[in-house]
Amino acid sequence: MNVMGIIFANDGAIGGLTDKRTTASVPFGGRYRQVDFHLSNMTAAGIRHIGIISRHNYQSLMHHIGSGEEWGLELGEGGLEFLTPYAMSTTDNYRGKLETLYSAMDFLEFGPQDDYVVMTGSAILCNLDMRRLVDAHIASGKDITVVTKAGIANGVKQLDLAIKLDDKGQITDIAVDYAAPAGYLASMDVFVLSKAWLITQVKECIAHNLYHMDRDLVLGLWQKKAVSINVYQFDGVAMYNESVEDYFRNSLALIDQDVRHDMFNGYHPIYTKVRDRVPSYYGEACEIDNCIVADGCMLDGAAKNSVLFRQVTISEGAEVENCVIMNDSVVGEGAQIKYVILDKDVTVRPGAVLIGTPKNPIVIKRGEIV
Amino acid sequence: MYFQKKRCIAMLLAGGQGSRLKVLTEKTAKPAVPFGGKYRIIDFPLSNCVNSGIDIVGILTQYQPLELNEYIGNGQPWGLNKTHSCAQILPPYERHDKKSGWYKGTANAIYQNIDFIDRFDPEYVVVLSGDHIYKMDYAAMVDYHEKNNAACTIAVRSVPLSEASRFGILNTNPDNSIYEFEEKPKQPKSTNASMGIYVFTWKVLKEALIADEDDPNSSNDFGKNIIPALLNQGQKMMAYNFDGYWKDVGTIDSLWEANMELLGKEPAFNIRGDERTKIYARNNALPSSYIDAGAKVANSFVAEGCEVYGTVKHSVISIGCTIGDGALVEDSVVMPGVVIESGAIVRHAILGENSKVCKNAVVGGAFGPKDKKKISVTSKGAVIEANTVLLPGEML
Repeated sequence: MNVMGIIFANDGAIGGLTDKRTTASVPFGGRYRQVDFHLSNMTAAGIRHIGIISRHNYQSLMHHIGSGEEWGLELGEGGLEFLTPYAMSTTDNYRGKLETLYSAMDFLEFGPQDDYVVMTGSAILCNLDMRRLVDAHIASGKDITVVTKAGIANGVKQLDLAIKLDDKGQITDIAVDYAAPAGYLASMDVFVLSKAWLITQVKECIAHNLYHMDRDLVLGLWQKKAVSINVYQFDGVAMYNESVEDYFRNSLALIDQDVRHDMFNGYHPIYTKVRDRVPSYYGEACEIDNCIVADGCMLDGAAKNSVLFRQVTISEGAEVENCVIMNDSVVGEGAQIKYVILDKDVTVRPGAVLIGTPKNPIVIKRGEIV
Repeated sequence: MYFQKKRCIAMLLAGGQGSRLKVLTEKTAKPAVPFGGKYRIIDFPLSNCVNSGIDIVGILTQYQPLELNEYIGNGQPWGLNKTHSCAQILPPYERHDKKSGWYKGTANAIYQNIDFIDRFDPEYVVVLSGDHIYKMDYAAMVDYHEKNNAACTIAVRSVPLSEASRFGILNTNPDNSIYEFEEKPKQPKSTNASMGIYVFTWKVLKEALIADEDDPNSSNDFGKNIIPALLNQGQKMMAYNFDGYWKDVGTIDSLWEANMELLGKEPAFNIRGDERTKIYARNNALPSSYIDAGAKVANSFVAEGCEVYGTVKHSVISIGCTIGDGALVEDSVVMPGVVIESGAIVRHAILGENSKVCKNAVVGGAFGPKDKKKISVTSKGAVIEANTVLLPGEML
């Protein structure tokens, strides 16, 4: 059974973190980029032909993934393809996923002869057994499988795609861009479908000026009773990083042992670009409590409830609390930061004080000196 | 020609047993022994090669090679997997002319692989050993060798006169050319100790190896046979001074010391480097480490994939270790995958890979700064049962 993967790299935005990068290349969990989860999920399931669709800001993503060797994608048939945009006769830029898929039609039609396609966005992170998922899709005999998560819908959070089931598992409602009440299942933006069916549907939709994956393909066809849908419920941890607040909360959630073990020691390891830094050095007087710490850090100050990425420096007398500090950033002597996200290469001057709130963490952009 | 001609290639002697590392090399070759939290000893000469622009490295293996072969793999972590580069494992093999068999000595190991070296038609061959921790630019040494038009250049470092009789000592003229080599002299005439790092002009070395092989009385060793033979021939031999950090980690004590010398605000050996002096290692896909609220970590290295709940002082904690709550680890080297359960105490110890110290067990003891430190050692996969004691200097 040949399965190919498609990852949509520009999937929504995470505030200032996606100013200069795709959602897929947002750093997460100390040493990862978001796309590491999707790539690792796919390659662990034996998917060796993966297309990454990006619209803009994709330099950091291409730099991160390179030849794909960390995921074993550098050799052999299929491998990794970057599907970057080109102007189409009909539109200036892509309006929705169906248009991007249409523009990648060569990749779909003339690539290796895959039978099935697993598609995923890049905002939702999980450690998902895609082999089991594809098996479940095939066994269901349905046109499309939508991966969902219970417990996300709460009447407030805007869901891209929400599905309601009755007691017998029959779909009673599908809604798009909807603050669904509790009880609805939230789509995890992961779909399985046969390649032939996908190609047909994409062509049909584009011909009728339809471009929105959730609204036009899933909801639209369901309303016309023109599609059979298999709803797959994922029971592990799913992190929806759809805003800075989400991203911040989910980053700090990794400090919880159960969450961490589910994400990293679940079905398979999560692979990432190897940076080969030295082990982190903990100074004589450092106080590190309840933190996730990557490699290459120099820690002389205090950090609490925080995520420290590679090569972070916490200087003497600095106090860090409830923060996410990305690669190569430096917190100067005596500086105090709380509820702050430091993007890469940020310098916090000695003695500086930055205090955000859990709902509105301060985000310092890449390379800034504050 | 398929093989690209190279100016210089390296041959890394990695076949020794390392018997003085005792239980640590029972199941693994010395170059594959873990070091510094995430590295293995062989990463240092290998990375030095890559950083010196040497992209063909022959690795001579013999003793317990499984883990070492697996670790080197295709050479990808060191960038030695390209079309015209390689990290080639060279085990002993059977030949038509009965000269086959185990590598009889360091020189015989190179002799048996003359064909490998000839493929690249090099001017120079760097011969290295796989048991030293240091950073060195071999390219500068090769340039020095070339500039002096030498047949052989040997890296030397100055050792205290009182210790000189433990080393191979090179006596040199004012221009640094070598006129005498003395293996472990009782009355050393100089303090220039050989570091076991050689640059040879390949044509000269090849002839010397062939002649050495024909001598039934030779022990086929670089230090004992090849170097004296070249001196007797009157070949130009140069000493190359090196004053950076260098440590032979062939004993339990020196391995422990070298790990400790990574620690501190200004460590004796700074393993951090820019891209030109970086040490590369094969990396495992481990998540970042977790340091619990109850943990206390001071003056220590903690590599990736660890979970620390207890106290760690002046220690190197390698990848994938767990330190339970209430546990104390002090002045110790904890190798990859070790589990130290709650309440256990580990002092002045080297814990081998994947070994386990169960609840409330005690390993090793405390020593004052002037005491002779007796290092306790656990072998790979050893288990120290709950509430038991492994005394200072004991091995399991």
